[in-house]
Amino acid sequence: MTNKSQLEKQAPDSGTVNGPAVTTPPAGEFIPQYEIEIAGVKFQNPVWTASGTFGYGREYSQLIDLNQLGAICVKGISPEPMDGNPPPRIYETDSGMLNAIGLQNVGAKRFLNEKLPFLRKLKARTVVNVFAYSTEDYVRCIEMLNEGEGIAAYELNISCPNTRCGGIVYGSDPKLTEEVVAAAKKAARYPLFVKLSPNVTDIALFARIAEGAGADALSLVNTFVGMAIDVETRTPRISNVTAGLSGPGIKPVALRMVYQAARAVKIPVIGIGGIAGPEDALEFIIAGARAVQVGTANFYDPGTSIRIVKGIRDYCQRKQLHLADLVGSLKTPGK
Amino acid sequence: MAMFDETVSVIENRPLPGGHFLLSLDAPRQAPNVRPGQFAMVRALGRSDVLLRRPMSIFDVQAHGGGRAGSNRKESALRILQLLFKIVGRGTRVMADLKSGDKVGLLAPLGHGFFEEEYLPRAHESDEVLHVAGGIGIAALLLPAKQLAEARFKQRLFFGGRTKDDLVGINEFKPVVSAMLLATENGAMGYRGYVTRPLEDYLTKHTNKKFLLMACGPSAMLRATVELAKRFRHPCLVSMENRMGCGVGVCLGCSIRVQGSGHEAYQRVCTEGPVFWSDKIVWDAESSGLGIRD
Ligand SMILES: Cc1cc2nc3c(=O)[nH]c(=O)nc-3n(C[C@H](O)[C@H](O)[C@H](O)COP(=O)(O)OP(=O)(O)OC[C@H]3O[C@@H](n4cnc5c(N)ncnc54)[C@H](O)[C@@H]3O)c2cc1C
Ligand SMILES: Cc1cc2nc3c(=O)[nH]c(=O)nc-3n(C[C@H](O)[C@H](O)[C@H](O)COP(=O)(O)O)c2cc1C
Ligand code: FES
Repeated sequence: MTNKSQLEKQAPDSGTVNGPAVTTPPAGEFIPQYEIEIAGVKFQNPVWTASGTFGYGREYSQLIDLNQLGAICVKGISPEPMDGNPPPRIYETDSGMLNAIGLQNVGAKRFLNEKLPFLRKLKARTVVNVFAYSTEDYVRCIEMLNEGEGIAAYELNISCPNTRCGGIVYGSDPKLTEEVVAAAKKAARYPLFVKLSPNVTDIALFARIAEGAGADALSLVNTFVGMAIDVETRTPRISNVTAGLSGPGIKPVALRMVYQAARAVKIPVIGIGGIAGPEDALEFIIAGARAVQVGTANFYDPGTSIRIVKGIRDYCQRKQLHLADLVGSLKTPGK
Repeated sequence: MAMFDETVSVIENRPLPGGHFLLSLDAPRQAPNVRPGQFAMVRALGRSDVLLRRPMSIFDVQAHGGGRAGSNRKESALRILQLLFKIVGRGTRVMADLKSGDKVGLLAPLGHGFFEEEYLPRAHESDEVLHVAGGIGIAALLLPAKQLAEARFKQRLFFGGRTKDDLVGINEFKPVVSAMLLATENGAMGYRGYVTRPLEDYLTKHTNKKFLLMACGPSAMLRATVELAKRFRHPCLVSMENRMGCGVGVCLGCSIRVQGSGHEAYQRVCTEGPVFWSDKIVWDAESSGLGIRD
């Protein structure tokens, strides 16, 4: 951050991932560029916090400097407030956790009135995660949120069942994915990121469908559907029976999916899944992600995202590379 | 409220009978800010086999050298934060391995505890404060009991466990309460049976008196205690335990069912709690999911 004004003077538009990749260091000391641009929105760096793991930002303001983050993706917002599932809602697994929170949230109206004013003042951009159980409600939610000022983008959570279509999950059905993304894009005043579900056999297919329906960027992955059983009582560990798996254990699979999605589309891809340190984040970036989101790691180490910001900076400095040069720079042997 | 995420050192991890440990941490920034009934999220660093931090009541805070910080000392002299825990699974087993000098990730103090401005008026109206603890639930009650003792309230402890080894922390309680009634399921110490038996006897014998109840323990014990409080019309505060993901209000993993509808139907144990007035909570096991300790 300290070198930013100097940087802007020396290389006005270098390093943004949408611009031309700049590999020639400016005269004198090499100053790597971390700023990224997605759908015309600038983010000061590629390290964001994932929806549902960072509340509405304020909760962590006593523990970390929110102004050092690239963006905060807030807890999924629905048109009306929701109360969520009965407990137990979480359970720790080997290298991960299961959750079935049931998308408890304050609803679009209270979000705009009570949460957005705080977020708007931050250097970190606000990405509003949106969910609903019908296409009309997705559209209604976005229309309500359109009234808010200072939203950088919407992130459409399509890992929800369509209750009007026999409970089929939007993100696991090509037709429903296309329908909801197209409808949301039409309604959205701000850029639309689509958060893909990993619970599909061919992620590249869903990536292309979302792109074709108008998505400005893709974020992936959401949680993997899993479960755990208490054998003593023969009851599920989570009241909802099935639950979403997240944390370090999912990273290799998430990384593979980000790699496949990034190769399948032209729009930017944002990598999520088990990121717990700078090296994890760099893996996703090298696999093709322009930005990354930190989720479960916030719970056990709130300082993770700031550590990743610093770690990426050190890496770029050491390698004398701009962030843009790293994105999708995987060297595959023999190819 | 001031909370801090710090890497702190273990001063001592003293084994006690029955798989219990008294863990003393050197926490100069956190200890002075603790209020009774608050908790900490703890994680043994350098152990990759446990991911999430575990919630633990703050049992006690002390000045350096183990001495109690008396009223003549400045609050800032407090720097030792103590946790009293029992091995029940993987996370607590890893905590049991901690040795003096080991590093711990400590997020504390957290939660809305037994905040005196909210319960002192009720304590003043009562003739005696009754603490009801089941097993390791005792850990949540020492600090409020000490605070009440300083304000010269009359207090009594009802403490139950499966066996006599479950009755830990009695020595710390002795100086602050006027009487202790113990119970073990096998009768090896105190009453034979559940702690709610001597409690019921006491309440029955003193129907003319006003009490304030403060309870922490397994859900079955809490439910029975809350039932008694209701039957005898005494106010009751409970310190709830639920699985926690973050401890700071963002994961919504700790929510419990409370009176109210729609969005008001759940509250977070880590943020709105862990201490609640008992009539706020919906005690039906199905909807509350409070069975995890049974
Ligand atoms: C606010 C609060 C304060 C607490 N204070 C203390 C304390 O002072 N001392 C202490 O020993 N314990 C305390 N607990 C309980 C403690 O957090 C759990 O025992 C611990 O998280 C279990 O972790 P584990 O990995 O060892 O067990 P796991 O392997 O996770 O579980 C083992 C068994 O314990 C049950 N369990 C898991 N988490 C909890 C929980 N949070 N509460 C009750 N049962 C649970 C599980 O259902 C299972 O049956 C407190 C909990 C809360 C929410
Ligand atoms: C407790 C919890 C709540 C979550 N809530 C949401 C949500 O509301 N909307 C959403 O799109 N994703 C939600 N997620 C998914 C995360 O944003 C993220 O995609 C996933 O956890 C994988 O990343 P991680 O392994 O870093 O946690 C949630 C995850 C967890 C653990
Ligand atoms: S433990 Fe995460 S919200 Fe309470």
